[in-house]
Amino acid sequence: MVPTSYFILLSGVLFTLGVLGVLVRRNALVVFMSIELMLNSANLALVTFAQARQSLGGQILVFFVITVAAAEVAVGLALLVAIFGTKRTTDIDEISSLKG
Amino acid sequence: MPELTWVIALIPAFPLLGFLLNVFVIRRERAAGLVASAAVVLSFISVLVAIYALQTQTQDLNRIDLVLWDWISVGTFRVPFGLLFDPLTAVMTLLVTGVGGIIHIYSIGYIHGDARPVRYFAYLNLFIVAMLLLVMGNNLLLLFMGWEGVGLCSFLLIGHWFDRRSVPPGIVPSEAAVKAFVVNRVGDAGMLLAMMAIFSRMGTLTFFSQNLNGQTLPGFLERAQDVASAQLDLGTFGTIGIVTAICMLLLLGVTGKSAQVPLFVWLPDAMAGPTPVSALIHAATMVTSGVYLIARNQALFEASPSAAGFVVAIGVLTALLAATAALAQWDIKRVLAYSTISQLGYMVAAVGMGAYVAGIFHLLTHGVFKALLFLGSGSIIHGTHDTQDMRKLGGLKDKMRTTWWTYMIGALALAGIFPFAGFWSKDEIIGRAWAIQNYTTAVALIAVSALTAFYMGRQVALIFYGRPRDREVEQHTHESGAIMRWPLIVLAVGAVIAGLMNLPPLPFELPGGHLLNEFLKPVLAEEAPAFNIPLALVTTALALGSFYGGWYLYAHTLANRIKVGKEDPGYHYLGDIWKGAEIAWGFDWFYEHAIIRPYRAIARFLSTVVDQQAIDGILVDGFAGGFGRIAQGIRGAQSGYVRTYALIFLVGVIVLVSYFAFR
Repeated sequence: MVPTSYFILLSGVLFTLGVLGVLVRRNALVVFMSIELMLNSANLALVTFAQARQSLGGQILVFFVITVAAAEVAVGLALLVAIFGTKRTTDIDEISSLKG
Repeated sequence: MPELTWVIALIPAFPLLGFLLNVFVIRRERAAGLVASAAVVLSFISVLVAIYALQTQTQDLNRIDLVLWDWISVGTFRVPFGLLFDPLTAVMTLLVTGVGGIIHIYSIGYIHGDARPVRYFAYLNLFIVAMLLLVMGNNLLLLFMGWEGVGLCSFLLIGHWFDRRSVPPGIVPSEAAVKAFVVNRVGDAGMLLAMMAIFSRMGTLTFFSQNLNGQTLPGFLERAQDVASAQLDLGTFGTIGIVTAICMLLLLGVTGKSAQVPLFVWLPDAMAGPTPVSALIHAATMVTSGVYLIARNQALFEASPSAAGFVVAIGVLTALLAATAALAQWDIKRVLAYSTISQLGYMVAAVGMGAYVAGIFHLLTHGVFKALLFLGSGSIIHGTHDTQDMRKLGGLKDKMRTTWWTYMIGALALAGIFPFAGFWSKDEIIGRAWAIQNYTTAVALIAVSALTAFYMGRQVALIFYGRPRDREVEQHTHESGAIMRWPLIVLAVGAVIAGLMNLPPLPFELPGGHLLNEFLKPVLAEEAPAFNIPLALVTTALALGSFYGGWYLYAHTLANRIKVGKEDPGYHYLGDIWKGAEIAWGFDWFYEHAIIRPYRAIARFLSTVVDQQAIDGILVDGFAGGFGRIAQGIRGAQSGYVRTYALIFLVGVIVLVSYFAFR
């Protein structure tokens, strides 16, 4: 049986990749994928701890996370399409007209 | 006998109806004039009926007190909206509606072709309403409402030609209106304070006793003796009797409304209004309300001899100052304006001396002949196409016959020549001063009488005699129409016979002497003075001599030296004294330098420094600007780059997590 710490380590690596993706990439689609990556790393950690502690709560929370992530993606992609329709770009540094 | 008390409510109701009709319904000049005149004539008829009701009433009160409704009722402060009709009110209402009616009719002719006739007649009616409330109010607050109402109408009517930038002799109507209003406010402050003092000390503002909810409350006039000895502590200024204080405050109101020293300066400028307005408001009625006020509050003034003495001093001073000022005026209406001030001084001095009936008698006769003179001057101004400078007139006797002979009667009546109305009333006042051995006052009043005769002689000489001095004016001069001539004739008859009201005791035991004394006895209980025949002869001789002297000088001796735009010959002989009289001894100059300019400087300081710099600069703009600059400093933080925000989130999360993890 694989030790719990490996899963947690993997979860941490995935989360770090997600954060880096959000911070360094300029393509909005990739930023979205990075956010999904962070959410799923959190899911992985939840499932791992649920397994380790023999408690169903963590696994049920994962379903909620997946549902909310799906909704968030739906809204996010719709926004992205709308922005692309007007700005002809998905570069998030170009979308900065709300600056002070 | 049917009780006719309700009739007195009709007296102010008719002009009020006329005012409302003129404001809301009528749009045409002719209808406006007819409705306004009819309203005042109906009111006059109501006065006659009310006098009949007063004479035949069953109770022995000699007054009708009609409370229409409870006006103000706050705690112990109760003021009824009540109308009072006693002999004093009766003669005042007779004058107001009688002379007022004649002037309304005259106005139909005078204001014909004006730009705003309907508004004019509406204000004229409103004035009558306010004046009637003033003389009919059964309490001081209602009197004050009328007092303010006539002030408002005076303001509105002086400013009737508000769109003209200047009317002769160089007055701006809108400024003159504001001046009248502001100067009167000074006096009104005294009135208000007097009312507060009366209420706080005597607990009521009604003049006479009232039936309220079955109990009888005494009026403040009936309680004047109770507080006569009470003193008011003024700290370092010593003490003053309560009644004296009240009387002095009332006197301040009188000096404002009745144009006495030192607040008379508004009246000469009030001549910027249409001439019938000058006749009605600024000669016959409104300006006499101060005299009425003192006569009505006789009980107060009798309880305070020192205040009454002050009243006499103010009156005599005013009479002298204004009579000398009238000598040196070129403008027809300004002569009459100063003459009005001077005659008001006569009345005030009379009521101050305790000659209340004589004061009211002079008020009535003066109301008639001064209205006549003003309407006559209006006829001259109308007939010569707005010429008011007497240097441009001259020789109008043959062109304006009716105006001439009516004006002569008015001038003789004002000069106090036997047997015209002014002789009887003026003589009674002088006789009273002599009888109480106040010789200074008597001599001063005789001097004023001589001056009055002189300037009236000068005026008629300049207007009607000599040869015309301005060709252009001469060619266009014409007599006024019948609607303006008939009021003059009626008033001229009045100026001849008004003395019959209060003749001295007649010889051979004939009835008819001291009618006014008898009529006013219930209100102004006062012994009818004896007729001093030598004194009357002296004053009449002086007046006749001065009148003839003034006439002869300006119609013959000096006639050739009067030129348009030139100084009066009197200036040549008297120099700066004449100049001083011409500017009414510099009261306007003094106010200009002592009050108006410092006030303007303070206003400018408050406006530029306090308001614009301190309040606007520091409080308003300063705070806004400060926040603006702070925001300017931190607006760079909002870059619009989502990734930057994400990084800041991350740092924040790391800081928070570390804090909770490692604390």
